[in-house]
Amino acid sequence: MCRQPILSSRRGALQSAVAGSLLWPGIVSQLLADDSAADPLASRPAHHAAKAKNVIFLFMSGGVSHVDTFDPKPKLHADVGKQVVLDHPETRNRPGYEKLFLKRPQWEFRPHGECGTEVSALFPHVAECIDDIALIRSLHCDHSNHYNATLGMHTGSFNQARPSIGSWVSYGLGSPNNNLPSFMVIAPHSPYAGGQVWASDFLPGSHQGTLVVPGAEPMRNIKPRVSSSRQQRELAALAAMNRRHLAERGNDPALAARIRSFETAFGMQIAAPEAFDLSKETDETLALYGLPRGSTSGFAWQCLAARRLIERGVRFVELIDTGSSGNWDSHGDMLDHVRLAKNVDQPIAGLIKDLKRRGMLDDTLIVWTTEFGRTPFNNLADAKGREHHSWAFSSWLAGGGTKGGTVYGSTDEHGIRVAENGVHVNDFHATILHLLGLDHTRLTYRYAGRDYRLTDVAGRVVTEVLA
Amino acid sequence: MNSVIRHCLTGLAFWFAATSGVCADDMDDAFFEKRIRPVLAETCFRCHGGQKTSGRLRVDSAESLSKGGETGPALVSGQPGESLLLKAIRREEGVSAMPPDKPLPPAVIADFETWIKAGAKWPAKVVAFRSEQHWAFIAPKAVWPPRGSAAAAHPIDRFLNSSERGADKRTLIRRVTFDLLGLPPSPDEVAEFLADESPTAFERVVERLLASPHYGEKWARHWLDVVRYADTAGETADFPAPHAWRYRNYVINAFNSDKPYDEFIREQVAGDLIAGHVENVSHERYAELITATGYLSIARRFGFDLDADHFLTIDDTVDVLGKSVLGLSIGCARCHDHKYDPISAADYYGLYGIFESTRYPFPGCEKIKAPRDMVPLLAPSEMERFVKPHQQRLADVDAELKRLNDGLAGLQQQLKEAFVQNARVLTQGEFDDGGSQEMAGPALEHIEIKRGEMLQLLILPRANHGADSTLVELEIADVRAADRRWNVTRDVVDDFLAGNPHADRYGNKATWFFLDSRNGPALLREAVRDLEQNVGLNSWRAGDTPSAWVNANDAPLKVWTTLPPKTFYLHPAPNGPVALGWFSPIEGTVRVSGRVSDAHRGGGDGIAWRLELIAADVSARLMRSIESAPRLAELNRQRTELLAFAPKVELAYAVAEGPSHDTRIHLRGDPKSLGDAVPRRFLSVLGGQTVPPDSGSGRLQLAEWLTSRDNPLTARVMVNRIWKHHFGTGLVTTPNDFGTRGELPMHPELLDWLAVRFLESGWSMKAMHRLIVSSEAYLAWPSSAGGGQATRRRLSAEELHDAILAVSGDLDRSPGESHPFPDEKTWGFTQHSPFAAVYEHDRRSVYLMLQRIKRHPLFALFDGPDTAASTPDRFTTTVPTQALFFLNDPFVHAKSESLARRLQSLSEEQRFDRVFARLFSRPVTSDERDAARQFLSDYQRDLADVPEAERPVQAWAAWLRVLLSSNEFLYVD
Repeated sequence: MCRQPILSSRRGALQSAVAGSLLWPGIVSQLLADDSAADPLASRPAHHAAKAKNVIFLFMSGGVSHVDTFDPKPKLHADVGKQVVLDHPETRNRPGYEKLFLKRPQWEFRPHGECGTEVSALFPHVAECIDDIALIRSLHCDHSNHYNATLGMHTGSFNQARPSIGSWVSYGLGSPNNNLPSFMVIAPHSPYAGGQVWASDFLPGSHQGTLVVPGAEPMRNIKPRVSSSRQQRELAALAAMNRRHLAERGNDPALAARIRSFETAFGMQIAAPEAFDLSKETDETLALYGLPRGSTSGFAWQCLAARRLIERGVRFVELIDTGSSGNWDSHGDMLDHVRLAKNVDQPIAGLIKDLKRRGMLDDTLIVWTTEFGRTPFNNLADAKGREHHSWAFSSWLAGGGTKGGTVYGSTDEHGIRVAENGVHVNDFHATILHLLGLDHTRLTYRYAGRDYRLTDVAGRVVTEVLA
Repeated sequence: MNSVIRHCLTGLAFWFAATSGVCADDMDDAFFEKRIRPVLAETCFRCHGGQKTSGRLRVDSAESLSKGGETGPALVSGQPGESLLLKAIRREEGVSAMPPDKPLPPAVIADFETWIKAGAKWPAKVVAFRSEQHWAFIAPKAVWPPRGSAAAAHPIDRFLNSSERGADKRTLIRRVTFDLLGLPPSPDEVAEFLADESPTAFERVVERLLASPHYGEKWARHWLDVVRYADTAGETADFPAPHAWRYRNYVINAFNSDKPYDEFIREQVAGDLIAGHVENVSHERYAELITATGYLSIARRFGFDLDADHFLTIDDTVDVLGKSVLGLSIGCARCHDHKYDPISAADYYGLYGIFESTRYPFPGCEKIKAPRDMVPLLAPSEMERFVKPHQQRLADVDAELKRLNDGLAGLQQQLKEAFVQNARVLTQGEFDDGGSQEMAGPALEHIEIKRGEMLQLLILPRANHGADSTLVELEIADVRAADRRWNVTRDVVDDFLAGNPHADRYGNKATWFFLDSRNGPALLREAVRDLEQNVGLNSWRAGDTPSAWVNANDAPLKVWTTLPPKTFYLHPAPNGPVALGWFSPIEGTVRVSGRVSDAHRGGGDGIAWRLELIAADVSARLMRSIESAPRLAELNRQRTELLAFAPKVELAYAVAEGPSHDTRIHLRGDPKSLGDAVPRRFLSVLGGQTVPPDSGSGRLQLAEWLTSRDNPLTARVMVNRIWKHHFGTGLVTTPNDFGTRGELPMHPELLDWLAVRFLESGWSMKAMHRLIVSSEAYLAWPSSAGGGQATRRRLSAEELHDAILAVSGDLDRSPGESHPFPDEKTWGFTQHSPFAAVYEHDRRSVYLMLQRIKRHPLFALFDGPDTAASTPDRFTTTVPTQALFFLNDPFVHAKSESLARRLQSLSEEQRFDRVFARLFSRPVTSDERDAARQFLSDYQRDLADVPEAERPVQAWAAWLRVLLSSNEFLYVD
């Protein structure tokens, strides 16, 4: 059950990539000597001791209905058709939405696990893991537009572009592995707000998310265009040129860092495809995720690839399940949630179980979230869909020092507003950073005359979900 | 529940321990300003603030709270449990519940608890700022450089007291060429410089570079970074801004023409208003001045509905104005008085009002997709001369058309009724795709008809959507005079456009009618000759369909289908029929024969048709309806012509004056929470001048205030930027922040001296380049110290892209213009499916299309421009994914191969020389040549799978990739 470190350290990674190759005979030792110099991704100590070392951030695009998944509302069943009077941002001044009626959830809730937390029939597999999950039923955010809410859930800022949470974590902790980027995003399609979702913005570019698109060449330029022997000849010639150039320039560390980047790129060409090559996974593991052998896409593939990236020392892996269309945005028909839940349910549960049995769940934080919930009401009691709802929604954390089997916060009887213990997106972010040993008030970056934070001037660590 | 509270408290304690770190005061203040003060102000002050002292309690200062009211101290610092305030908002027993009407949300109560526990700090009111104390608000003084060592003759070197080792000539020409043009020097340029042994050799190089059009392409990019230029709007669907490129090119031209910097700023802020004050402004000058205001109009757009979020765009404008021109973070004063710099919220909204009185172009957004308010690039006088007369003619034509059409509409209604009431169906048919039917039957043999009645053949769209090209043959014979026959083909094919109605062979002027029968009979009015450039394809139509047309040729005509020679066609509209009418010139009996055929096989539509007799005298009304036909046809022809030859007015993404008004302060930055109105004015620390009454938005005045010679910031900020881009770091290392939070200048006297020289030179940017690059400091061998010494630097993303193109020989040196955006009529972008494109070309990368929500991949990889916010300074990150670009990117492979092929015609010796001269501006060494030969032969041996003839090219391409990947190529000494 012990976790096998695949690459135990940055230095180890470097040696393993270079060992035995004909490259860089002279400079390797010299470069290893100033390993941490001018390396923006060098591991940095956390602010405080923490269990979580890595994050897998599962983002469900489009807005998952809380009252149909993780927030049971018997009263909403009972009061179906009753009119409610609200000044709601999505229905205000909207023709045809002058009157609002409560709409019944379409899936049954049942208690699960030892904790007995109720989960709907949309997530039967995740429900099996409920004792490992700290569920928050009182999340809320500032905007009910996909673009703004997606930006907010990733950057803490709902209008202006700011660094992504993955970039902040990379900036705060660096990366133990230098054959792969510190922050990777696996997304089949572009999300709302596009690349701003994983941008480093004013943080150095080394902290931006590297996009992985499931398919034949998951990472840009990762596939060598010439054979390995030819490429090694090119790299050897390059190293010779650069070595001479470096020596004439007093071993300028910036030049040395770039020489090293070719070594790591060479390693990355091997390490990344290896990480994305699931062929050595057992049938039993594939079955756990519900992944057919040979498949190179789908959320199950994303989840298993995420585990492999975490094993290889990637600090922050984000998985986006869909994109800016064909997602959870079920205005037309809530039954669409069936397809979307089926796409992610078993893979997510498989990921939790797999991490757990490998002993990785202790130091890997899994975050499951979405940009907002969906309205418990609509303009007709029998309307098929639900609208955007930023006032209250559900998300959860698992592993990485969270307290499994807990439920924090609640909504009112109909799931419309937070009833107690509201958790703003800033609080959610503060909690994630805290679990990683980062103090959200101290993780700052001076830009344009001001110290910026992921949580701006807000944020409260939700200690109630900590183990 | 208890455990939850315990957890909660532990968490808060932790939170406080944390905030007592580096910026404890800032954070406490921020917490108070964001979480506590608004609640007090909105909820409590109406009863407990200022003169209102309900229960003798005031809550507008920490002192008042501690003093308390009738029931004792409301607040005990650090003791939430003892504080009545908290008990009241928690609505605990024995305390008046506050606020009385409705409880505060739990999160707010938690905030208060947090705040009190942490000591209930009430931020001291920001102390009135004493501007005379901060260096940047004191006008620069011209201090003559100190007399240093005799060797340092250049004034800059006397300030720096530098005595660095000079760099060699090859290094210098490479450095100065990249610095000024962003491109490597050509081998000839290097050779020329080496051969020139005169003391002015370097000066001559600098003059040549400053005169090159590529200079503007390089230096415009520095300014475009500062003004966060993009070709899209940046709202939720990232709508394109297809006219923004004109502003980009304006900036390029401004640098190339060495436009004085003060004029450059004035034009960008108020070009349109300056244009209004110039007598007889030329077309080019007018267009330039309007285009310049792109500086304002490229402000970022926000949200789903731009109109609703326009305040954010104005905020973005004020923010960028402050950073770019003044080096001040004015944006901080949006929510509250600036905490560090002497900028109040009133200052902020004084400027805000100026831009709120300005009309921004509307690029389109999810809610309202159609762009509007682009500004025509034609001076009003030209508009008057060329466009106005044209518009007047068009308006006259439209007015007459409307009058005639209105008259016809009434008649049309009568006709419709007459046709419906008197129609007698003679025969009808329907057939599937590709079929054909003959008109036959006894009903067609003897048709009694009176003069003025009409026979009508209708072609109908079939039940689904079908509507097709229909070949019609129709002949009407007078039963009593066998040789009197009306054959539609024969009568109309040769001179189809002679009229609708069309004459017959017997001199009857109005016999054949081509009718739009969607809503009663109406003549098809639009005549089109040689439709889609097909000679002899002539049509009467109403839009695309319904229509009637002929192939007048003696030969088949191949269009969307093949039309046999000399044939007549009808085509219904999807929403209704087309008809051919025969208006009887006789009284008697006729016989009808003919055929209807699907002329366009495929599509599964087929044809439905009907032959009717309109058994009533519709002649009077029909004739009246056609009386105006010739005039209508003429008017339509004129209209088409007027539109076709309309003076083409080009548009700019530029601003214009809007309704002028002062704005009210947005309390805490919230546009729904308004405070007092503030007059439109300049920053008080820089003079506080107000916009005079009746002078519009105030942009013209603002432009003057910004560029006044008394303004202590504008010149300093720009010379610092120029310095920065020559030396790697500025004299002030925070080029966008000269306020108290920015860094102090490293050599304040030098900065001031440069600023004064800048003013004395007439704000000439080229003069600054000449001054700076002639210093020993610039000419030195690079050091890593920075701050007034030459530094080694990596090429920027643009320089890398352009240098690869330049050395490969593929660089297209012509200026770029617009981007191939999709036609704006097709824009349906949403946040679900936003605009996204990459338009590659071999021009310089300043001309690449830049989006706001998605970065160009090359720029994302090499720290390229940030299109979302003003960027004074780019990062230089070194990451392995950049190395992957050199190893595997198709661009690098294609360009190395391109160069390899170009080199094929040279001898091997020449190739080595050429490549090193092009890429590195130096000769190849013998060691390098040997190594290269070895590499090429080893590599070729490895290419067994490649055809033999291709091997040298592939090996050379590989070797060139190595050189392009080298540090020597990517770094400039």
